[in-house]
Order: sequence, then structure tokens, then C-alpha cells
Amino acid sequence: MAEVQLKNIKKVYPFVSGEKKVKKKKADEPEKKKVNLQITNEGVVAVQAFNLDIKDKEFIVLVGPSGCGKSTTLRMVAGLEEISGGELYIDGKLMNDVAPKDRDIAMVFQNYALYPHMSVYDNMAFSLKLSKVPKDEIDKKVREAAEILDITQYLERKPKALSGGQRQRVAIGRAIVRAPKVMLMDEPLSNLDAKLRNEMRAEIIKLRKRIDTTFIYVTHDQTEAMTLGDRIVIMRDGYIQQIGTPQEVFNHPANLFVAGFIGMPVMNFFDANLVREGKQYFVEVDGFKVELSPEKEERLLANDVQSQPVTLGVRPEHTDVTEQGIASKVEVAEMMGSSVHLHLDANGKDVIVIVPTIDMKESYKQGDTVHFSFKGKVAHVFSKETDKNLEF
Amino acid sequence: MDSAKTSPAPVKKKGRWLKKLRENYPFLVMIFPAVLVVFLFNYLPIYGLLIAFQDFMPGDPILGEYTRWVGFDNFTRFFNDVQFWPLMSNTFLLCIFGFIIGFPLPIIVALLLNATKSRRTAKILQTIFNGPHFISLVVMVGMLTLFFGRYGLVNNIIAAIGGERVSYFLQSSAFRPMYILSSNWQDFGWSAIIYVAALSNVDPGQHEAAILDGATRWQRVLHVDLPAIMPMVSVMLIMSIGGLMGVGYEKALLMQTDGNLGVSELIATYVYKQGLTGVPDQAYATAIGLFNSIINVVLLIIANTTSKRFSENSLW
Repeated sequence: MAEVQLKNIKKVYPFVSGEKKVKKKKADEPEKKKVNLQITNEGVVAVQAFNLDIKDKEFIVLVGPSGCGKSTTLRMVAGLEEISGGELYIDGKLMNDVAPKDRDIAMVFQNYALYPHMSVYDNMAFSLKLSKVPKDEIDKKVREAAEILDITQYLERKPKALSGGQRQRVAIGRAIVRAPKVMLMDEPLSNLDAKLRNEMRAEIIKLRKRIDTTFIYVTHDQTEAMTLGDRIVIMRDGYIQQIGTPQEVFNHPANLFVAGFIGMPVMNFFDANLVREGKQYFVEVDGFKVELSPEKEERLLANDVQSQPVTLGVRPEHTDVTEQGIASKVEVAEMMGSSVHLHLDANGKDVIVIVPTIDMKESYKQGDTVHFSFKGKVAHVFSKETDKNLEF
Repeated sequence: MDSAKTSPAPVKKKGRWLKKLRENYPFLVMIFPAVLVVFLFNYLPIYGLLIAFQDFMPGDPILGEYTRWVGFDNFTRFFNDVQFWPLMSNTFLLCIFGFIIGFPLPIIVALLLNATKSRRTAKILQTIFNGPHFISLVVMVGMLTLFFGRYGLVNNIIAAIGGERVSYFLQSSAFRPMYILSSNWQDFGWSAIIYVAALSNVDPGQHEAAILDGATRWQRVLHVDLPAIMPMVSVMLIMSIGGLMGVGYEKALLMQTDGNLGVSELIATYVYKQGLTGVPDQAYATAIGLFNSIINVVLLIIANTTSKRFSENSLW
């Protein structure tokens, strides 16, 4: 159990000899980007300006697309990657140059990283043996952890005789026997099939309650992030995009990227105009008027936002097929069981609408003309220039 | 139910075999030259082993009207040969000492190369270590002469500091150290390749997990690297034991002098001398060679059975 503070953390991978350095750029020339990494004269910048205060016993999830720097950040906390700049504190102590074993952390890896020649028992006991913990204490701790994870019957088996889910339990068991101050998890469920992943996600929630420590969890799966995290850190290109509770980032995405990344199916975006009439705001899109919630109006007013062209974001679940509304053609109708996801073409724009099966009056076919409108006053408005949510 | 009637008739075994043959014929064509070479040079000569049981004269047909079969006479003659025990002990001692030093050396080298922080340094070192393997035996023994001959580098240094020149090639006690150390020097890098390759397959995550578990560099070698190459070590151990008595004659013959003959005469050199020099006695030489091969086969079976019993690794 510990607080973790990351202050202005930066990670730069220097060029290895033989690699060409970037030519000196002109003053107005933007930083060169390759894929989604920043390439500078120092090297490839994987993480920068990373500031985060993690409270004691908090469950933090770092989420973002591949290459956004989330695993690199976790590995810097673990001590497996050198920190190029900034400061890392665990329980108030500066950890930048402290060896991984002395940081009192444990880590669960994506590919389990179990020792194949050791039994499950020995895998779990290894760190304690190295720390010269008395044998009977090791036995007690290993059996306790095995009990929590329901793997007692597999203690004598080798990892290769276990299924993926069982191996992941062993990997978690190996981490929890040490009763670490901070538990790090690097995409621990991504090697499991969908059903097992759901089961293990529930197991992690239960486990979190039992072992009651600080968690830093990395995933690219926003469902995992939303269900597990007390707070979510959304990253892109090495920068933090937004930090907030799952509800906050879902209801008030900081920018277009977060809005598009969080939520499944992805948010629909439209070119629109924000109109301010005194203290009232509304959005005009394709000749239709979209009202905003009083909470959003207050935020816009607080920021003194004026009328302007904006990108309107509305989630598919807040979009409805109606008699009147924006006309569109059905491209694909995906039957999801309790609902149908309609992929529509609205004047060249892709729009997704979720129609609950129970409300469906007719089945939809490709080429059908339908009208859609927005419900629930949950539209988001983003600046055309900066992609930022105008609420912030 | 008439499902049995509607189900397709079982495909005949012969039909399946032909189908497989049709499907895989490109692979069979590709493997054919290798099979032919192995057959011609490894299996066909086995026929010649028959002369070990004959009173064979060079030029005689192996199987003909006048073949004189003598049973195990050639073997009995070797067992009663005054050279039998010296040959056995010389071969055994040279091989066992060579094995004791030569078997673990590449493993240690591979583990050290793998533990080297700089990949570039490790690659350079590995290339340097592989170099001596490509030196021919004649050049190798020539180098030994240049270093350890009466007027070689070592003796020049000894003489320069006032010592007396020593003829290492004439001394029995110097033969085995020179033979074994030079062989290992020549081959340790080459033999390490297979272990380096096996080590490159170790999941880096295991090392990271071990670092977080608090393992030191040495403990990681012991608990992550070594177990990862153990299956390969087992296979190489079985094969090494199988070939323990199979030392070649060339290097020993090149290093042989009247002074060290007492320790440098091996089964292989004796077979060469009996079969190809002086008045050749090829039947006797074949019998000795066959006896040597049988020892190797027995050792291979023992090693494989032992490995199978005590570990999960074996050749068959």
C-alpha cells in the first residue's frame, strides 16, 4: 500500500550507433513524427510530461492505443526502464535510481513470464526464497495466495500443464505472495479468450478487494479500463490526454481522441455550429437543433464560449431512429442480440445508431432510408481548431 | 437410422498413402539427394564390415567363391594384442579429459555471451571465438609447433630468461594437454553457437520477472538461462557420450613422435596404421574399428536410457 507520484516523467530511447539523427529543424517546422512516436535529436520520445498522483490503494488504469507509451510508463515505475527525465516517488521516496527489487513492487506480465522448469509452487515461492524468508512462512504465504486464486490443486504442476487462465492466476499469485506496496499489471488479460477475459476481469475486481493495495494496470481495452479503474489515464503519442473516473471520461471527454477512444461503438461526429443566445446554448446540425444539458451549458458559459463552428459528438446509444430527423441510408445492420447496430451513411458521413431490439418495429435492410435524431441532451461539442472539448 | 448407409466409405489405407505421396512429392524430391548421399557414404560401406569376419586380402571380393570366413578371430587377435590395453586407455583418457573440459566450456561461453550487456560486444566476441574453428588440422598442428616446438615461441621465451629448451612434442606428459587444450580452443566458440541460439529463445519477460523477484545476474543465469538450455544440453551430452571413443586419427597422427607414442597411439591411429600402411591388414583394422563403434553405440544407448529415466530429454 503506497502512494505513487510521477512528476514530469519522460522517456527517450537514444539512437543506437548507426542511426541517423534528425536534421536541425527550422524554427517554424513542427517536430517530425514517425508512426506515433516523436523523433527528436535526443532520440525517440516514448513518454513525456507525464504527471500523475496515485493515491494509496487506488486502482489506476493506463489505457491507450498501441505505442502510446502506457507500457513504457509502467516499466519505468517497475524499474525495468530507465527514467530519462522527471521524478518517480513511491511512498514519498525518490525511486529513479532504486533497483527494481528494492521498490517493493510486483508485476504481472502479459505473457505470464512463468519459469517453465519450476512447479507452480516454486514459481510462487521463488521471490520469497531469494529474500531468504523461512520455509514454513513461504509455505503459508504460497498456500494462502493459491487459496485466494483457487489454484491449490495445481501447485505441483509445471506451467505447461496449465491452461492460459490458470497460468495467469499463477502469475498473479507470484505477485501477491510478496504483499507488494504497488501491484503493476501489464495487459494481463490480453492473451486470454473473450470469455476467460471476462471471468478474469471479475476475479481481478474481487482480488483487488482482498489484497487491498495500490494497482497500476495497463490495457488497450477500454472495457477493462472502464470496469476496473478507480481512475483512468488515457494516453496518446506519449502524452496524457485525460485523467478521470470512468464516468468523467465517458461523460466529459477532454478532446476528440478521448471521445473516440472511450465508448463502444465509437462516438459519432458531425460538423455543426454552436449557437449562443444569451445564457442558452444549442447546436445546429444539418438544419436540426440539438439541445445541450444544463450542466454542459453551465460549463460553456463559465468558459465564455461564443457561437462558433464545432465538431458535435454524440454516442450511438444517444442516437435514435425517429420519424423525423437527419436522413440517411442503412449500410449494415449488425444484430447484437438485445440491440441492432445500424451503420448509416448520412450525406457521406458514417453514423452508428443503436436500436434496442425491443423497440424495433421493422427489420432494417441495406439501402433502407431511415431518419435519426439525438436524445437525452448528451451531445459533446469540440473546438474545430484544437479538437478540445469546449467544456474545459 | 440409415446414417451408416449415407456416410462415405472409409478411405483405403493404400489410397491414403498414395494421396499423401502425391501431396508431399516436392518435399520427397528435395530430400532425395541427402538420402542418396547418406546411403552411399554411410550405409553402403557397412557391407564392407563383413571383412572383419574374414581372412581378407586386399583385392579379394568381399563376398566370393573363395571367401575365407574366420568368425571372431580378428577380434580375439585384437583382445590378445599387446597394444590392446594401451590403446584402450590412451583413447579413453584422451577422450574423457577432452570431454570434461570441452563439454561445459561452450555452455559457459554461451551463458557469458548471453549475459554480456552490450549486444554488439557479444556479437564481436562470438565472431572472434568462431574463427579458430576454420583452421585446418594441419595448420593447427603447425601452429602448435610454432608455439611449443623446440625452437618455438614458448621455448624462445624460456631460453631468453635463462631456462632450458624443452621438446614438448617429445614428451609424453605434454601430448594430452596440448591435444585437448588446442582442440577446445579451436572448437569452444563453434560449439557454443547451438547454446547461444537456444538462449536467444528465452523469453525476456522471464528475466524481467526474475529481476523483480530480486534475482542477481548470477541467479538469473542459474534459474532462467541454464534451465532454458537444459534440453539442448541433455541432447548434446547424449551425443557427446555416444561419440566419446570416436576420436579421429588425423590430429594425433600429426602430433605423434617417437617420444610421445606411448600416449599418442590411439585406436584410430592404430586402425590407420594397420589398414593403410606397411603390409595392410584391412580385415584386422576393420575388426578394431567395428569394436570401437560398438563401444560407442553401447555408450550412446546407456546415455540415452539414463537421460530418459532421470529427465524428460532423450534422443529416442
